[in-house]
Amino acid sequence: MPRVPEGPPRRQFLKQGLAIGLAVAAGHSLRPVQLLSASAGPDPEVPNEQVAKILKDLFGDRPIRRGQVFLDMPVVAEDGRVVPVIIEAPELPMTADNYVKAVHLIVDHNPDPYLAAFDITPAMGKLSLQFRIKMKRTTWVRAIVETNTGEVWADYARVNVSLNGCG
Amino acid sequence: MNRTIGDARIRIPPRIQQGETIQVSAIVQHPMDTGFFRSADGQPIPAYFIKDVTVAYTGQQVAHFMWTSGISRDPVVTFTLVADREGPLTMRWTDNKGAVFEQTAQIAFSTT
Repeated sequence: MPRVPEGPPRRQFLKQGLAIGLAVAAGHSLRPVQLLSASAGPDPEVPNEQVAKILKDLFGDRPIRRGQVFLDMPVVAEDGRVVPVIIEAPELPMTADNYVKAVHLIVDHNPDPYLAAFDITPAMGKLSLQFRIKMKRTTWVRAIVETNTGEVWADYARVNVSLNGCG
Repeated sequence: MNRTIGDARIRIPPRIQQGETIQVSAIVQHPMDTGFFRSADGQPIPAYFIKDVTVAYTGQQVAHFMWTSGISRDPVVTFTLVADREGPLTMRWTDNKGAVFEQTAQIAFSTT
Protein backbone atom coordinates (compact mmCIF):
# COMPACT_ATOMS: atom_id res chain seq x y z
CA MET A 1 0.00 0.00 0.00
CA PRO A 2 1.47 3.31 -0.95
CA ARG A 3 1.59 5.63 1.98
CA VAL A 4 -0.11 8.95 1.82
CA PRO A 5 2.75 11.38 1.42
CA GLU A 6 3.48 13.22 4.60
CA GLY A 7 5.86 15.99 5.52
CA PRO A 8 6.25 18.98 3.28
CA PRO A 9 2.95 18.84 1.35
CA ARG A 10 0.91 18.55 4.50
CA ARG A 11 2.84 21.21 6.37
CA GLN A 12 2.54 23.42 3.35
CA PHE A 13 -1.18 22.87 3.27
CA LEU A 14 -1.48 23.79 6.93
CA LYS A 15 0.68 26.85 6.41
CA GLN A 16 -1.46 27.93 3.53
CA GLY A 17 -4.55 27.46 5.63
CA LEU A 18 -3.02 29.54 8.38
CA ALA A 19 -1.99 32.23 5.90
CA ILE A 20 -5.50 32.36 4.48
CA GLY A 21 -6.96 32.52 7.98
CA LEU A 22 -4.66 35.38 8.92
CA ALA A 23 -5.43 37.20 5.68
CA VAL A 24 -9.15 36.89 6.35
CA ALA A 25 -8.69 38.12 9.91
CA ALA A 26 -6.55 41.03 8.69
CA GLY A 27 -9.10 41.82 6.03
CA HIS A 28 -11.74 42.07 8.68
CA SER A 29 -9.71 44.37 10.87
CA LEU A 30 -9.10 46.63 7.87
CA ARG A 31 -12.81 47.37 7.85
CA PRO A 32 -12.83 49.72 10.84
CA VAL A 33 -16.59 49.52 11.19
CA GLN A 34 -16.29 46.11 12.77
CA LEU A 35 -13.83 47.00 15.50
CA LEU A 36 -14.93 50.49 16.28
CA SER A 37 -18.23 51.62 17.61
CA ALA A 38 -20.12 51.96 14.36
CA SER A 39 -23.35 50.31 15.23
CA ALA A 40 -26.12 48.15 13.98
CA GLY A 41 -29.56 47.91 15.50
CA PRO A 42 -32.21 50.56 15.95
CA ASP A 43 -31.44 54.23 15.53
CA PRO A 44 -30.68 56.03 18.80
CA GLU A 45 -33.62 57.90 20.27
CA VAL A 46 -33.60 61.66 20.08
CA PRO A 47 -32.63 62.47 23.69
CA ASN A 48 -34.06 65.96 24.19
CA GLU A 49 -35.72 69.02 22.68
CA GLN A 50 -32.40 70.60 21.80
CA VAL A 51 -31.33 67.73 19.54
CA ALA A 52 -34.87 67.41 18.16
CA LYS A 53 -34.77 71.08 17.13
CA ILE A 54 -31.35 70.73 15.49
CA LEU A 55 -32.57 67.77 13.42
CA LYS A 56 -35.81 69.53 12.53
CA ASP A 57 -34.04 72.74 11.49
CA LEU A 58 -31.54 70.85 9.34
CA PHE A 59 -33.69 68.22 7.70
CA GLY A 60 -37.33 69.19 8.26
CA ASP A 61 -39.53 66.20 7.56
CA ARG A 62 -37.09 64.44 5.25
CA PRO A 63 -36.44 60.88 6.38
CA ILE A 64 -33.00 60.32 7.92
CA ARG A 65 -32.03 56.89 6.66
CA ARG A 66 -29.23 54.80 8.06
CA GLY A 67 -26.70 53.71 5.47
CA GLN A 68 -24.18 54.88 2.89
CA VAL A 69 -22.18 56.84 5.46
CA PHE A 70 -19.76 55.35 7.99
CA LEU A 71 -19.00 57.07 11.29
CA ASP A 72 -15.99 55.51 13.01
CA MET A 73 -15.17 56.47 16.58
CA PRO A 74 -13.61 54.66 19.55
CA VAL A 75 -15.96 52.63 21.76
CA VAL A 76 -14.12 54.04 24.78
CA ALA A 77 -12.63 57.54 24.76
CA GLU A 78 -10.26 57.80 27.72
CA ASP A 79 -9.88 61.53 27.32
CA GLY A 80 -12.96 63.47 26.26
CA ARG A 81 -10.80 66.39 25.16
CA VAL A 82 -9.47 64.53 22.14
CA VAL A 83 -11.76 61.99 20.51
CA PRO A 84 -11.00 60.99 16.91
CA VAL A 85 -13.76 61.01 14.31
CA ILE A 86 -13.67 59.44 10.84
CA ILE A 87 -16.57 59.99 8.44
CA GLU A 88 -16.59 58.26 5.07
CA ALA A 89 -19.09 57.43 2.35
CA PRO A 90 -17.22 55.40 -0.26
CA GLU A 91 -20.36 54.42 -2.18
CA LEU A 92 -21.95 57.86 -2.50
CA PRO A 93 -21.17 59.53 -5.84
CA MET A 94 -19.21 62.77 -6.03
CA THR A 95 -19.96 63.91 -9.56
CA ALA A 96 -21.01 67.31 -10.81
CA ASP A 97 -24.71 66.29 -10.82
CA ASN A 98 -24.82 64.01 -7.84
CA TYR A 99 -22.73 64.62 -4.76
CA VAL A 100 -22.60 64.93 -0.99
CA LYS A 101 -22.99 68.61 -0.23
CA ALA A 102 -22.88 68.66 3.56
CA VAL A 103 -21.87 66.61 6.57
CA HIS A 104 -23.25 67.38 10.02
CA LEU A 105 -21.87 66.09 13.32
CA ILE A 106 -24.16 66.06 16.34
CA VAL A 107 -23.03 64.95 19.81
CA ASP A 108 -26.24 64.35 21.78
CA HIS A 109 -25.09 65.18 25.31
CA ASN A 110 -22.52 67.88 24.64
CA PRO A 111 -23.33 71.42 25.89
CA ASP A 112 -23.50 72.49 22.23
CA PRO A 113 -24.63 69.33 20.43
CA TYR A 114 -24.36 70.63 16.84
CA LEU A 115 -20.60 70.39 16.89
CA ALA A 116 -19.56 70.90 13.29
CA ALA A 117 -20.74 71.08 9.71
CA PHE A 118 -18.68 70.50 6.59
CA ASP A 119 -19.85 71.82 3.22
CA ILE A 120 -18.05 69.89 0.51
CA THR A 121 -18.02 69.74 -3.29
CA PRO A 122 -17.29 67.21 -6.05
CA ALA A 123 -13.74 68.65 -6.15
CA MET A 124 -13.02 66.48 -3.12
CA GLY A 125 -13.58 63.28 -5.10
CA LYS A 126 -15.18 61.40 -2.21
CA LEU A 127 -16.42 61.97 1.30
CA SER A 128 -13.54 61.22 3.64
CA LEU A 129 -13.07 63.42 6.70
CA GLN A 130 -10.99 63.01 9.84
CA PHE A 131 -10.81 65.35 12.81
CA ARG A 132 -10.88 65.35 16.63
CA ILE A 133 -13.61 66.51 18.97
CA LYS A 134 -14.36 67.14 22.64
CA MET A 135 -16.98 65.09 24.44
CA LYS A 136 -18.55 65.78 27.83
CA ARG A 137 -19.86 62.34 28.64
CA THR A 138 -20.97 58.99 27.28
CA THR A 139 -23.41 59.59 24.47
CA TRP A 140 -24.50 58.88 20.94
CA VAL A 141 -22.79 60.73 18.12
CA ARG A 142 -24.64 61.30 14.83
CA ALA A 143 -22.98 61.83 11.46
CA ILE A 144 -25.62 62.90 8.96
CA VAL A 145 -24.92 63.68 5.32
CA GLU A 146 -27.04 65.50 2.78
CA THR A 147 -26.75 65.02 -0.96
CA ASN A 148 -27.49 67.73 -3.51
CA THR A 149 -30.53 65.70 -4.56
CA GLY A 150 -31.99 65.95 -1.07
CA GLU A 151 -31.19 62.50 0.28
CA VAL A 152 -30.23 62.28 3.94
CA TRP A 153 -28.03 59.42 5.20
CA ALA A 154 -26.78 58.78 8.71
CA ASP A 155 -24.58 56.63 10.86
CA TYR A 156 -24.38 56.60 14.64
CA ALA A 157 -21.71 55.76 17.18
CA ARG A 158 -22.06 55.28 20.92
CA VAL A 159 -18.91 56.53 22.65
CA ASN A 160 -18.10 55.89 26.30
CA VAL A 161 -16.27 58.88 27.70
CA SER A 162 -14.03 58.44 30.77
CA LEU A 163 -12.78 62.01 31.25
CA ASN A 164 -15.08 64.98 30.60
CA GLY A 165 -13.54 67.08 27.85
CA CYS A 166 -15.94 70.01 27.92
CA GLY A 167 -15.72 71.40 31.46
CA MET B 1 7.02 74.99 24.13
CA ASN B 2 7.24 77.55 21.40
CA ARG B 3 3.85 77.97 19.84
CA THR B 4 1.97 80.82 18.30
CA ILE B 5 -1.77 80.93 17.86
CA GLY B 6 -2.57 80.70 14.17
CA ASP B 7 0.57 78.86 13.06
CA ALA B 8 -0.68 76.44 10.45
CA ARG B 9 0.65 73.65 8.32
CA ILE B 10 -0.83 71.80 5.34
CA ARG B 11 0.50 68.38 4.41
CA ILE B 12 0.04 66.92 0.93
CA PRO B 13 1.70 63.88 -0.67
CA PRO B 14 5.26 64.54 -1.91
CA ARG B 15 4.48 63.15 -5.36
CA ILE B 16 1.16 63.76 -7.07
CA GLN B 17 -0.04 62.45 -10.42
CA GLN B 18 -2.53 64.56 -12.34
CA GLY B 19 -6.10 63.45 -11.60
CA GLU B 20 -5.19 61.57 -8.43
CA THR B 21 -7.41 61.92 -5.36
CA ILE B 22 -4.97 63.02 -2.68
CA GLN B 23 -5.27 63.23 1.08
CA VAL B 24 -4.73 66.67 2.58
CA SER B 25 -4.03 67.14 6.30
CA ALA B 26 -3.95 70.49 8.02
CA ILE B 27 -3.28 71.67 11.55
CA VAL B 28 -3.62 75.12 13.07
CA GLN B 29 -2.44 76.11 16.54
CA HIS B 30 -5.39 77.38 18.53
CA PRO B 31 -6.56 76.94 22.15
CA MET B 32 -10.20 76.25 21.17
CA ASP B 33 -11.42 77.40 24.59
CA THR B 34 -15.04 76.42 25.22
CA GLY B 35 -15.84 79.13 27.76
CA PHE B 36 -16.82 76.45 30.28
CA PHE B 37 -13.43 76.16 32.03
CA ARG B 38 -11.81 78.33 34.69
CA SER B 39 -8.14 79.16 35.07
CA ALA B 40 -6.12 78.04 38.13
CA ASP B 41 -7.05 81.26 39.98
CA GLY B 42 -10.77 80.73 39.38
CA GLN B 43 -11.26 83.21 36.56
CA PRO B 44 -13.53 82.01 33.75
CA ILE B 45 -11.66 81.45 30.48
CA PRO B 46 -13.76 83.06 27.73
CA ALA B 47 -14.71 81.12 24.63
CA TYR B 48 -11.99 81.43 21.99
CA PHE B 49 -12.15 79.12 19.01
CA ILE B 50 -11.90 78.69 15.24
CA LYS B 51 -15.41 78.94 13.86
CA ASP B 52 -14.91 78.92 10.13
CA VAL B 53 -12.50 77.22 7.71
CA THR B 54 -12.41 77.63 3.95
CA VAL B 55 -10.45 75.60 1.42
CA ALA B 56 -9.73 77.15 -1.99
CA TYR B 57 -8.03 75.34 -4.87
CA THR B 58 -6.60 77.65 -7.54
CA GLY B 59 -8.91 80.35 -6.28
CA GLN B 60 -12.12 78.30 -6.25
CA GLN B 61 -13.69 77.42 -2.94
CA VAL B 62 -13.98 73.63 -2.67
CA ALA B 63 -14.95 73.25 0.99
CA HIS B 64 -16.24 75.26 3.91
CA PHE B 65 -16.19 73.96 7.48
CA MET B 66 -18.27 75.45 10.30
CA TRP B 67 -16.82 74.61 13.67
CA THR B 68 -17.58 75.23 17.34
CA SER B 69 -15.41 75.04 20.44
CA GLY B 70 -16.28 71.31 20.46
CA ILE B 71 -13.38 70.76 18.05
CA SER B 72 -10.24 69.75 19.97
CA ARG B 73 -7.44 72.25 20.59
CA ASP B 74 -4.91 72.73 17.78
CA PRO B 75 -7.51 71.53 15.27
CA VAL B 76 -6.47 68.97 12.72
CA VAL B 77 -8.56 68.06 9.73
CA THR B 78 -7.94 65.56 6.95
CA PHE B 79 -9.89 65.53 3.70
CA THR B 80 -9.50 64.48 0.07
CA LEU B 81 -9.01 66.51 -3.08
CA VAL B 82 -8.99 65.61 -6.77
CA ALA B 83 -5.66 67.04 -7.93
CA ASP B 84 -6.67 67.79 -11.52
CA ARG B 85 -4.70 71.03 -11.97
CA GLU B 86 -1.57 72.66 -10.62
CA GLY B 87 -1.79 75.66 -8.36
CA PRO B 88 -2.22 76.84 -4.80
CA LEU B 89 -4.38 75.11 -2.21
CA THR B 90 -5.18 77.78 0.35
CA MET B 91 -6.85 77.31 3.71
CA ARG B 92 -8.18 80.15 5.85
CA TRP B 93 -9.14 79.70 9.47
CA THR B 94 -11.25 82.43 11.13
CA ASP B 95 -11.72 82.55 14.92
CA ASN B 96 -14.56 84.02 16.96
CA LYS B 97 -12.52 87.17 17.63
CA GLY B 98 -12.24 87.80 13.91
CA ALA B 99 -8.60 86.80 13.47
CA VAL B 100 -7.84 85.12 10.14
CA PHE B 101 -5.00 82.64 9.66
CA GLU B 102 -3.93 81.45 6.25
CA GLN B 103 -1.68 78.76 4.83
CA THR B 104 -1.01 77.59 1.28
CA ALA B 105 0.37 74.40 -0.24
CA GLN B 106 1.36 74.24 -3.90
CA ILE B 107 -0.16 71.40 -5.88
CA ALA B 108 2.37 70.37 -8.54
CA PHE B 109 2.53 67.17 -10.56
CA SER B 110 5.57 64.97 -10.50
CA THR B 111 7.24 64.66 -13.88
CA THR B 112 8.16 60.98 -13.69
